[in-house]
Amino acid sequence: MEGVKQVPSQQFFFQAVFERSPEAIAIIDENHRLVEVNPAACALFGKTRKELVSNKIADWFDFSVDAEITQIQWQKVDGSSKTIEYSVVKDLLPHYHLLVLRDISKLQQAAAKKLEREHQRVKLFAEVTLKIRQSLQLEEILRTAVTEVQRILEADRVLIYQVFANGTGMPIKEAVLPDYAPIMGVEFPEEVFPEDYRQLYAKGRVIAITDVHDPAAGLADCLIEFMDEWMVQAKLVVPILQNLKSSLDSEDDYLWGLLIAHQCESSRQWTKFEMELMQQLANQIGIALSQAELLENLEGLVTERTAKLRQEISERTKVEIALRHSEEQLRLIANGLPVLIAYVDRQQHYRFNNEAYQTWLGLSPPEIHNSHLLEVHGKAEYQQIQPYIEQALRGETVNYEQDITLQDGCLHSLNVTYIPHIQEEQQIQGFFALTSDISDRKAIERMKDEFIAVVSHELRTPLTSIHSSLKILATGKLGNLSTKGQRMLQIADEQTERLVRLVNNVLDLQRIQSGKVKMNKKACKATDLMIEAVQTMQAMAQEQQVKLVVEPMRLSVWADYDYIVQTLTNLISNAIKFSPPNTTVWLSANKELPQRKRKKHRNISKIIFAVKDHGQGIPGDRLETIFERFQQVDSSDSRKKGGTGLGLAICRQIIEGHGGKIWAESCLGAGSTFYFTLPELIKSEENRDE
Amino acid sequence: MNDKQILLIDDEETIQEVVQVGIEIEAGWQVAIASSGSEGIDLAQIHQPDAILLDVMMPDMDGISTLSRLKANVKTASIPVIFLTAKTQSTGKDQLKSLGVVDIITKPFNSVTLASQIAKILGWKM
Repeated sequence: MEGVKQVPSQQFFFQAVFERSPEAIAIIDENHRLVEVNPAACALFGKTRKELVSNKIADWFDFSVDAEITQIQWQKVDGSSKTIEYSVVKDLLPHYHLLVLRDISKLQQAAAKKLEREHQRVKLFAEVTLKIRQSLQLEEILRTAVTEVQRILEADRVLIYQVFANGTGMPIKEAVLPDYAPIMGVEFPEEVFPEDYRQLYAKGRVIAITDVHDPAAGLADCLIEFMDEWMVQAKLVVPILQNLKSSLDSEDDYLWGLLIAHQCESSRQWTKFEMELMQQLANQIGIALSQAELLENLEGLVTERTAKLRQEISERTKVEIALRHSEEQLRLIANGLPVLIAYVDRQQHYRFNNEAYQTWLGLSPPEIHNSHLLEVHGKAEYQQIQPYIEQALRGETVNYEQDITLQDGCLHSLNVTYIPHIQEEQQIQGFFALTSDISDRKAIERMKDEFIAVVSHELRTPLTSIHSSLKILATGKLGNLSTKGQRMLQIADEQTERLVRLVNNVLDLQRIQSGKVKMNKKACKATDLMIEAVQTMQAMAQEQQVKLVVEPMRLSVWADYDYIVQTLTNLISNAIKFSPPNTTVWLSANKELPQRKRKKHRNISKIIFAVKDHGQGIPGDRLETIFERFQQVDSSDSRKKGGTGLGLAICRQIIEGHGGKIWAESCLGAGSTFYFTLPELIKSEENRDE
Repeated sequence: MNDKQILLIDDEETIQEVVQVGIEIEAGWQVAIASSGSEGIDLAQIHQPDAILLDVMMPDMDGISTLSRLKANVKTASIPVIFLTAKTQSTGKDQLKSLGVVDIITKPFNSVTLASQIAKILGWKM
């Protein structure tokens, strides 16, 4: 049995603890005088037990027995100070307190130093981040990153390694101390950077290796060899991930490269702070890469857009030049034309006037621009034209003639047209006013009228004499002619009659066309008109052995009696001429069959007159043209039938002058029917007439 | 009915002749000739014809002036006057009629049927 050791007495233990405790222990009485101190306390204050005991603790520092753990700054005699932490166990024994003290100066200094260092690093890191953010040049960013990381970490070598698509990679930026070989531009063999490493890095793995040779580091032999080659003892590797979409969606991150710090002089324990710093920098680089890419895209877009804009500007400039050119041309044309051209707005103010206003009216365009029509034309003239202005501003095209004394002091006949300017949704903006001088035309018209009157008289008078002379000779009362002589006389007579008709028709047509002839419209019974025409043509019909039949109808029309009889006579004459003997020409008048008409015209009902024969008929392609001048179906007709080629043209003018229409329907070999319409007389007027 | 006397006032000699011959052949009436309006007015007062044929367009005094002088004169006011005119169609016809003529005969007319035309207008029997 082993000898049992005597356990020291409790007092020994307490004595030992008191003597050997690294903490300074002191007992104070109720007056805070030191009663007992241990060696550690002596050491703390730098005094012997004798020097300490009986002294009041408050002589050295502010002391409170009630404080639990208190830090105080103790000023030594030599001027230096110590930070002392103390705690009090009140009433350890009645009237005595325990005081435990500790010098924490060193601890505090170490913490402050650490804090200072980290603060310094954070400051540096902020500076680097700022530099990176301020620059949009990737080259500069990467160079700043390696330089600053090397400086902050005090690493021997810092490099940025770019991973290529084929799995290899290469350091593209490096900051290395002059003692060590630069690694930049050296392509890393694939085995030192296998696919599984890349995948791990892509997921954000950080590798901090204190000693590359430490088996715990788990580096492959080839990698260790590679590390040796570049004298690497410790390394810290963080991935640089780029967000392709420049969004926060981490799934789109891809491994762009690595930020690597090498320690070559010795192994190195990488601190958490260092690792975080590297990571944050790598993130910053990642962001910078995305930004650079974005910038590159933006620059591309800007370049593209700039090119497009240049093209657009060039095209627009061309269009503007063309427009200006076109405007200039229009202005020249508007000013060069011998007409007044103006634009008047809804408030009846002139908005445009061409230069003719100056020469015609003595009103310069700038002078009358924005002026009201009343102001420009004066009250009297304005009152004359006001109804037309209002009509134009209601959206109707207006045309009127006006006699006015122009600046030359002469009276001119003017033709004025107002064309409303209607925009979308039928909004009337104003109207264009075009005024042309028709004085010359009017003068020519007057000359023509005079000429026609003269020709009319000068032709008819000799014709009357010739005609009458021939008729007198034909009576035989002035002597008999031979048969041949009589035949010659007959030819002369017939041709004179034809010439008379031609002269009459030419003059008739001209007068109707010129609008000089006013249709003297009154209530006419349709049957009366037809009977009158038949009576006129009866002799000719009998001569041709053609029967004329009128179908009586109780209908009345609003028409010029003489002109309608002339029309019917003309149509009957044609019908007789082209009817074979022993046939009948039918005349009828009927109410137009009710048709679905536009509401606008619902009140106008019409009477259709028809003259129907059983002649040779008219080819379909000639049904329209026969109503034009000298457009007989067969040019020999006029000679054979003694026509003038103007009869139907006159008929058309007369009917159109009544607001009616005239047309023909025909079946070759079976006959033709000529129709025309006239407005039906309103019942009340017919009754009054009767 | 061959006792009618007609006065023709027309400046055209050929017209004067054909009217005179035509009426004489057809109806046997006497036709007095005046070559101007003033001559016509004088002859009308002297001969007191049954009817006057008056040309509208004449130099110096035209038919319209002549007519108003005839109508203004008591001795000639009641003699029926028929205008002869080369004016076409109904243009001015109503206007002319309103001056106091019985009717208007348009040139060219047929002088051989002129007498019956006049008789018809004036309601004479032939």
